[in-house]
Amino acid sequence: MSRTATHETVAPAVRTEGLTVRYGAFQALSDVTVSLPPGQISGLIGPNGAGKTTLLNAISGFTSIAEGSVHVGHADLTALDARRRALAGVVRGFQTVRLLDRESVLTNVLIGTERLPQPSALAQFFGLPSQWRAVRRDAAAAAEVLDLLGLTRQAHRRVDELPFASRRLVEVARVLVSSPSVILLDEPAAGLDQEGRQELASVLTRVHHNHPSTMVVVEHDVDLVKSLCSYVIALDSGAFLRDGTPAEVFGDRQVQLAYFGRAAGADA
Amino acid sequence: MGDLGQILVGGITTGSLYALFLLGVLIVFQVSKSINFAYGQVGMIAAFSAWFLYSEHGLPVPLALGVGALLAVIVNSAIDYAAIRRIPEGRPGLDLVVTLGIFLLITAVMQQLIDANAHTFVSLGADSRAELGGVVVSLNDGIVVGLTVTIIVGAYLLLNRTSLGTSLRASAEDAGIAQAAGVNVRALRTATWAAAGVIAAIVAVLVASRLSVDAFYMTPFLIKAFIAGMIGGLDRFWLPLSVAVALGVYESLAVFILGASAGTPAVFLLIIVVLALVPKRFVNERNEVRA
Amino acid sequence: MTDATITRPRRSAQPPATGRGAGARRTLTRVAVFAVIAAVPPLLFDDYWVFMSAQVVAFAVATLGLDILYGRTGQMSLAHASFMGVGAYTTYIVSSYGHGPAVQLGAVVVVALLAALVVAVPTLRLSGLRLALVTLAFGELLAWAIRETTDLTGGTQGASVDPIVIGAWDSSEPLHAYLIALVPAAIATLLAAHLGRTQLGRRMLAVRDTELAAESVGVAVARTKITAFLISAVYAGVAGWLYAAIVGFIAPPDFDLFASVYLFVAVVIGGAGTVLGAWLGAAYIVLVPELFTLAGQPNLYPIVGGALLAVVALLVPDGIVGLGRGLWRRIRGARGGQEGSR
Repeated sequence: MSRTATHETVAPAVRTEGLTVRYGAFQALSDVTVSLPPGQISGLIGPNGAGKTTLLNAISGFTSIAEGSVHVGHADLTALDARRRALAGVVRGFQTVRLLDRESVLTNVLIGTERLPQPSALAQFFGLPSQWRAVRRDAAAAAEVLDLLGLTRQAHRRVDELPFASRRLVEVARVLVSSPSVILLDEPAAGLDQEGRQELASVLTRVHHNHPSTMVVVEHDVDLVKSLCSYVIALDSGAFLRDGTPAEVFGDRQVQLAYFGRAAGADA
Repeated sequence: MGDLGQILVGGITTGSLYALFLLGVLIVFQVSKSINFAYGQVGMIAAFSAWFLYSEHGLPVPLALGVGALLAVIVNSAIDYAAIRRIPEGRPGLDLVVTLGIFLLITAVMQQLIDANAHTFVSLGADSRAELGGVVVSLNDGIVVGLTVTIIVGAYLLLNRTSLGTSLRASAEDAGIAQAAGVNVRALRTATWAAAGVIAAIVAVLVASRLSVDAFYMTPFLIKAFIAGMIGGLDRFWLPLSVAVALGVYESLAVFILGASAGTPAVFLLIIVVLALVPKRFVNERNEVRA
Repeated sequence: MTDATITRPRRSAQPPATGRGAGARRTLTRVAVFAVIAAVPPLLFDDYWVFMSAQVVAFAVATLGLDILYGRTGQMSLAHASFMGVGAYTTYIVSSYGHGPAVQLGAVVVVALLAALVVAVPTLRLSGLRLALVTLAFGELLAWAIRETTDLTGGTQGASVDPIVIGAWDSSEPLHAYLIALVPAAIATLLAAHLGRTQLGRRMLAVRDTELAAESVGVAVARTKITAFLISAVYAGVAGWLYAAIVGFIAPPDFDLFASVYLFVAVVIGGAGTVLGAWLGAAYIVLVPELFTLAGQPNLYPIVGGALLAVVALLVPDGIVGLGRGLWRRIRGARGGQEGSR
């Protein structure tokens, strides 16, 4: 029961202020101010081109911001590059799965331990004792996350031999292995079948219980968002539309118009 | 002042050759997103076989040059068709490795077919000189600069003032979208490789006429053209070409001030310093697609 | 949020490593196989082929280094032979002042590191393409430096290098040369193999395959590339040191652009990204030209080398080792699929 307390202290709030991102003349995000509640799983929804991925890119440092700022907890991360933000605890997955295709599942997951304090390059190269301690620690972390995602049996398979759904899971495992405090997942359920989606949702929920974090999931599937997220942010055409509990946001007429092209109420 | 003028003329002429050669690299890179390491050897094929045909087999020089240029076009197009297009997606940098093999192959084959020695080439006006304001200029210098300016301006107009140019730029921007808009991307791509073959032949023949011809002589030119492209950016047009000319002048000045052997270290120093000082954003040419 | 239901599903998952015992056994097997193969030349070959084998050992150190840079990190160097040259000429100069192997080796490592830093730091914060081009220029620079310093380096005529003498061991004896070279080569091999199990090694793979994912977990991409380049340069330098001591004579063509390209051919044909592939590549680069000469067709070697590089890179991207693995997997058939990629 003491977990609820740690939720609040470990997982920071993520806040963007007046975030504007431009690609040439095209404004991908305009003046987006959102606040992600700490220690909760938030859904990021909106039609194609709404700017969901761009918002994730902006928070994780993968796109340059024209105006505005990104805050995690009390820290202003705006000036940090993607790597430093990752080290600060903001780790993301990609919409297009990006793996080391010719390597094993285990290698792909272990690369995610970069955030944990690693021995110097020389210590690693020459296999000094600090290296062996790191190896044991990383192997334990990887074993835990592989077990959690049901990938233990595939640990030594090459990832390019795996079905797409498993590859997705490997990427999620890479994100989770270092227990980051802010987790950004870009359509982690895309390409999975109904069963896979449900399973992913329950895994993410379980992970979230074990390692409290502020999690953001871009997702199209309304049911999945409802079952997974306790908070939802809707974007449309690069602008903030609505936020609140899933019920509030999905019940909003504007959201329904933007998302479904019609208001659900008009149908009913 | 006369000395300096002479240096400038020499530098601008060499720089023009770098620029013209770089033009061939640029059009291929922009449309195909690949680097052909064997590009210098494509030019070498043209000049070396032209020399072989006219001097060993008595062909008239213009005919020999024509055959050489044709060979360059065929070989360059074949490199694209047989190798570059077959590179599986998601293996960036493989273009360099594969064309490195072709570089080695062409060099060895030409050495085997002709020989490994250096030979004097037809002078193409390198020995008819005139003095202009205290500076000696050869007819060959004039041909080099004139051809370079004509071809580069021609290429610029073609790219920016014609519908063919629009299609080309569209393919360079995004081949998929261009294809969807009805541009025959494959044909255009082949055309750029063929055109680059002609350019390589022209440069190689001009260089041979000023120096001599063998199986290796184009490599230093290739390196200099690549360096200029690297500093100026391979996805731009005027900037890298200007850098190429400037590189020629810089090299001549270094040789003039520091002595005949200073060219190579001066150029190396230049790239190291430029790359260390120029801001990262300015010199990044392969921006990975984000997300 | 009902925290009451939280159970930690940590039921001590069995570690995904093949178990410590199996891993150690596999390492032992490999070391044993290595030792058996290494014992073949001194036991079965005549002096000339032992001499060639010693060269294979020296070149293996170079190809292992290039493999770390290209096979694992995906960065191209067209000056790897030039870095061998840096090692060889440093050896020559240091030994001409009467210093022994320990000082030579120390000097080789320091000079190779310094040269690599000059090349790598400005270029590798940028793209890999730039590294390729700058290394190309570095090769030219080395050729120029040797040409211009005839008094110190022997210039274009080349120079005779004193053999390594350690007690009763003298590297001008083929057998001694072979055994002397085997020690650093074995260490280099062990370190390269061990690299695959470190986070440093994984960083390299990530940089090779997907820089974006690497950054997303906090990998310093540029620093990883520079580290790989430095390691590869030291390997090349040590290879040059061994080469100079074994062959006893060095000249600029040993370390020119073509020599660098051949090293590349070796790594790609052997199988980029694997220790075994680097050794196979080293054997190729030393023995195949010899075979062509024996067959009376020495000019065919560069033609075959060029064609092989292009064809293998296109069609068999994992080289001989990749072919072997594919075959192995097919043999094991349905049972397969347990083997890791390294």
